[in-house]
Amino acid sequence: MSNLRWLKSWEFALLVALMVELAVLGMINPAFLNVQNLLYSTSDFVHVIIAAVGLTLIIMTGGIDISGVSLMGLASIVLGLSFVAGAPIWLAVGVALAVGLLAGAFNGSVVANTDVNPLVITLAMLFLYSGVATGLPTLLDMLGFKAYGAGGFEAYQYEGINGLPKSFTWFGTGRIGWLPMPLVVTLVLTLIAGWLMGHTRFGRFLQLIGVNAEAARHTGVPLKRTLITVYALNGLAAAVAGLVLTAYFTSARSDLGAEALLNIITAVVLGGSSIYGGEGSVLGTFLAGLVLGYLRQGLLALGITSDVVPVIVGALLIGSVAGRIGLAALQRSRANRAAYETERQAVAANGE
Amino acid sequence: MSRIFKSREFLVLLLLVGMILAVSTVNKAVLRPVTLINILNSSLFLMLIAIGQMFVILTRGIDVSVGAIAGVSAVIFGFALNAGFPLPVAMAAALLTGLLAGMVNAVGVVFVGIPPIIMTLGTLGIYRGLMRVLTGGSWIESIPRNIKALAVTRFASIPLMVWGVAVLVIVVAILMHRIRATRHFYAVGDNLDGAYLLGINTRRTRFIAFSLAGLFAGAAAIVFVGQIGFVPMQTGDGQELKAIAAVVLGGVSLMGGTGSIWSAVIGALFLTAVDSMMIFLRIPGSWNNAVAGAVLLAVVVLDYAIRRAAEKRRLTLRAAEMLRAETAMAPAGVQSEGRA
Repeated sequence: MSNLRWLKSWEFALLVALMVELAVLGMINPAFLNVQNLLYSTSDFVHVIIAAVGLTLIIMTGGIDISGVSLMGLASIVLGLSFVAGAPIWLAVGVALAVGLLAGAFNGSVVANTDVNPLVITLAMLFLYSGVATGLPTLLDMLGFKAYGAGGFEAYQYEGINGLPKSFTWFGTGRIGWLPMPLVVTLVLTLIAGWLMGHTRFGRFLQLIGVNAEAARHTGVPLKRTLITVYALNGLAAAVAGLVLTAYFTSARSDLGAEALLNIITAVVLGGSSIYGGEGSVLGTFLAGLVLGYLRQGLLALGITSDVVPVIVGALLIGSVAGRIGLAALQRSRANRAAYETERQAVAANGE
Repeated sequence: MSRIFKSREFLVLLLLVGMILAVSTVNKAVLRPVTLINILNSSLFLMLIAIGQMFVILTRGIDVSVGAIAGVSAVIFGFALNAGFPLPVAMAAALLTGLLAGMVNAVGVVFVGIPPIIMTLGTLGIYRGLMRVLTGGSWIESIPRNIKALAVTRFASIPLMVWGVAVLVIVVAILMHRIRATRHFYAVGDNLDGAYLLGINTRRTRFIAFSLAGLFAGAAAIVFVGQIGFVPMQTGDGQELKAIAAVVLGGVSLMGGTGSIWSAVIGALFLTAVDSMMIFLRIPGSWNNAVAGAVLLAVVVLDYAIRRAAEKRRLTLRAAEMLRAETAMAPAGVQSEGRA
């Protein structure tokens, strides 16, 4: 019996939902079920999954980081500016990833060292990083750096930076066998995050902090170090998401990913993570991200305007949480009734 | 009186005045009345949604859909005006739209038990999509000109709308001072279970808070349409985050129970003033967000540092007092544990 428990898991439910979704969309429009198409269309939305996987680790601790959407744009523009300033592309990528990691670590250190709500801190960071991302090109101009193109760095603010080398854009447009590179990157990151969460001490620390941070501290969990690390990892994931998107669009822009916040949080929550911490699954986030992404693709393929998509995503977010609350209430009342029943029988047996 | 000077609202007000004075040393034009009136005027939208947001955050909730609610209300307002309804009816329609949207949030949070950030993030998508669906994605233009009269007509060289919002703010401030029930917002935010045990109807209080957030977003929509004379698709885009930033900056804690309407007013003024100051300093507008974020971060971290220092001082004082009491009592052999 116990080896069938996975059938009842939330991840399995998501997998079924994904299959049903693909089947329904395929029935309405058979062209949708072309395997190659299905694989390739993931490139449009995997940046959401990558960022959501990073955020899952944070939400596990009961925290939140909404600044990831700004970090995507910041990483992208940092890569582009480093490249046009003459850095080799591998160095530019390294700088962009380092910026994401450090920015995340900065978020984490403020969260770990103050009692200010993480939402407030990362709200400030959301503004800060997006402002830096949009302002960076003008700053370089003011500091007297020279860009190769006409109009100086400032022109990049509006046009985006093109002409990135093939070796980099391959990460957005290339493929290994059947798998497009963005999906490969996503799979690798999901596996790493899943391993961290399920098979390392660090992962257990995350959950313990989410269940009860004070108890975690008293049992010797290095609270500050763990928090800083997890926020840094999230920053890194956001930067990767930004770079994958950059490679896919073959253009570095400071506003990449800015509209993804609703989708990212929906993927995490639909994936089964509790916003209060202590409960969550990287695999669930990954599957929920696929469900959401294909839903969008399918709706668009059906000729439904993209305006309706946020309505459905929003309804899905609310519906999934409401459903889980209802389910929990049902289980509770069932358990109560069962307990009452056994108690009644025990009393009856005693009475005889 | 000294309580006012120690409050966070006052600290941010000082920062605001200090910032304007500092910028005036670089560019005198800042101190011209017309500049200050302009700052006031362009802060109205943010101020109104921030006041609504304040009620929710006081009760330890959060509403990230207020910008989208303002967007939907603006669309309904525009439709009503274009359909030829008189201005008061159109205004009522906008307010009602906001109120209803807020009540939807309230139902989800209070009666279903969905965490506020999830519920309102969901309705953010829904309302924003709804706005596009209602308008077919195109702007509402050709709104009767007379609506702009509200914004253009000036009394004592200050736009009528500023007077209107000022009266509203003062009325709300007086109501919050005079009506005892408004303290329920604070009680619920500070300690939900405690408030419940005191006999406060916590559900009703939270329900009203979310509804008010919607209502004020509706009012903000009227101001917005009045000021620019048409309804672009971006109405209220990203403003929900600015509204949260404004109230938090002004001293409302996301942990609930602290802050006042002045937090929302001063916070909104501050964030709007930052944008104007950038212009006077000739800093490219692309840095606006960075400065707003840095200010918010600095203020909340500073506030934490001040609170911690105060707490530490309180504890040291108490420790010293205890020690004194102990040495005084020691000969009699009495423990001083009962003191606290």
